[in-house]
Amino acid sequence: MSQFAAKANKPAPVQTAISDEAWAKRLSTIANDARMHEDNINLSSRSAAKVGRAMLVVALVFLLVSAVGAFSISFGHALAGIEIGVFTVLAVALGSLFWVMVFHALNAGWSITIRRQLENMASLVWIPALILVVIAIVEVASNGVLLEWLDPSVREGNHLIEAKAAYLNGPFFVVRVIVYAIIWVVLSNRLRAWSIKTDETGDRSYGRKARFFASFGIPFFALSLTFCAFDFLMSLDYRFFSTMWGVYYFASCALGAMSAIVLVTALLRTAGRLQGLVTEEHYHDMGKLMFGFTVFWAYISFSQYFLIWYSNIPEETMWFTARKELGWNWLFMVMCIGHFIAPFLILIFRGIKRNPKILAFMGVYMLVMIALDMAWIILPMVTIGEAKALDVPGLVIYAAGALGIIFLFGWFVSMKVTKSPLIPTKDPLLHEAMKHKNYV
Amino acid sequence: MTSLLSQAADYFPMLVRKPAPRFVSESGARVHGIVAEFTEVPAVFHAAEHVRDAGYSKWDVHTPFPIHDMESAMGIKTTKLPLMAGGAAITGVLTAIVLQWGTSDILYPMVVQGKPYDAWEPFVPIMFELGVLFTAFMCLFGMLALNGLPRFHHPLFSHERFLKVSDDRFIIAIEADDPKFDPVQTRALLEKAGGTHIALIEDAE
Repeated sequence: MSQFAAKANKPAPVQTAISDEAWAKRLSTIANDARMHEDNINLSSRSAAKVGRAMLVVALVFLLVSAVGAFSISFGHALAGIEIGVFTVLAVALGSLFWVMVFHALNAGWSITIRRQLENMASLVWIPALILVVIAIVEVASNGVLLEWLDPSVREGNHLIEAKAAYLNGPFFVVRVIVYAIIWVVLSNRLRAWSIKTDETGDRSYGRKARFFASFGIPFFALSLTFCAFDFLMSLDYRFFSTMWGVYYFASCALGAMSAIVLVTALLRTAGRLQGLVTEEHYHDMGKLMFGFTVFWAYISFSQYFLIWYSNIPEETMWFTARKELGWNWLFMVMCIGHFIAPFLILIFRGIKRNPKILAFMGVYMLVMIALDMAWIILPMVTIGEAKALDVPGLVIYAAGALGIIFLFGWFVSMKVTKSPLIPTKDPLLHEAMKHKNYV
Repeated sequence: MTSLLSQAADYFPMLVRKPAPRFVSESGARVHGIVAEFTEVPAVFHAAEHVRDAGYSKWDVHTPFPIHDMESAMGIKTTKLPLMAGGAAITGVLTAIVLQWGTSDILYPMVVQGKPYDAWEPFVPIMFELGVLFTAFMCLFGMLALNGLPRFHHPLFSHERFLKVSDDRFIIAIEADDPKFDPVQTRALLEKAGGTHIALIEDAE
């Protein structure tokens, strides 16, 4: 009996896959690898500023144009342009968080050398999150700029809003947005902090912590993303509802982050960094994921459209008739051809996925398509009462707001890149990423 | 044409008269080829590179498990199967387009739920499904046609030691149909590459 008691009281030994000596040996092998040279895995702020400063100037000019438009022409139109940009960069940031968590949860080896850049973009989620909190407060304070249901005169005696009032009300809306922001910032910052601590200490237990944390973070991430898409995008028309909506926005997130990481690593390679660390083998896999999520987006958005078209229920179909019949059908065609058919036929080729430059170009192209997708969601609700869908001043305001936010985010990314080594230098699986190869 | 016939012969040997054997063993049987055994992955990998560099085309490496990058060591070109599958996908989508528009818009226009005759929305799932179906069939049957499977027997199975290939041996087999095949020189090549238990395989009729 005492034997059993003694056994039960013994602390369980920490199980590690390899011994400490083997781990130390692996670390020194990696540290002595020519590819781990200081110049290859660090970017000085001087080199980053070359791209970063230009983006900041462009962003400020665009945001100035947007602000002028807001006060001289229409605050609502300017806000719509800003929201297009915010939801594009939020897609990139949240998608990066998604990939980081999935890579941790699945213990992925090949992606270690691109993970730091994903962590950087994910930890910048505070920018779109902060803007969203501000937008939410402004919307509530001004009784609804884009969100019609915040307007008391619309709410008055409106049965649909009354039925949804437990969810669609100003105070709860602001509280929800703040909760989303906290979830995203905590998830992304913890994962990045542990990754950097592993670099500094070589303690491989952080990887295990991150894996546990990421696995439990995924449901929080999924719910917060879904409800955020409901709150800001679906509720633009309070009558409309689609159970696919969260997945629809998530498709843009996963695709946007893959496009952005291809672009960022390709720029770093052009600057002479990450040589031999992010190779065409990694681009092949990133290209496959881009291709996969292009198809996923098409599958989700067509399923949503198809069911609404077939069932023909007024409060659902009006979402599409408001767009297709009132001057936005061209954007529908752009989405069909530009967001699915063209990239499908381009990304399907192996040679294109293995060419970093062409794939980076496709990354920029897909980011533009995601921004246009956000425009397809947001803009028709702004112009619905107006005779013409699009005029030149309107177009300038939308484009200025969207591009201003996107380039501002780009400037923040260029700053963040310089803050830490470009890859996790002591990750337990780094050796797998360094010899990654596709055998197909 | 001849290659098509030889592929057909894999499935229907009774239809094709085999050409006279280039090499005959002492007992008078047709020679299938020469096999050599290896015991380690690097050895068979480098031996494969030797055989490739010697210019052989009709030969194969048999291993108990997949060896990464063996295709480059053997000089195997990328398969044509993806192109064939792509062609099948396009055929499938076109079939769906023709069948659906042809019947519900042109031949027998019929009102279904008040939807337009030529609405593309209901056709998309069929286009997708037929595209996938044709592609899947082409992948399966194209693969079988390209690698000559299934087959009832292979001359290598008559070689007792060949069965070790599913256990602990790596075997290179060079076929007598190879234009570069020569009983003496091929054996010398395999010996030089480090092969053991080199044996001539007879094709039992």
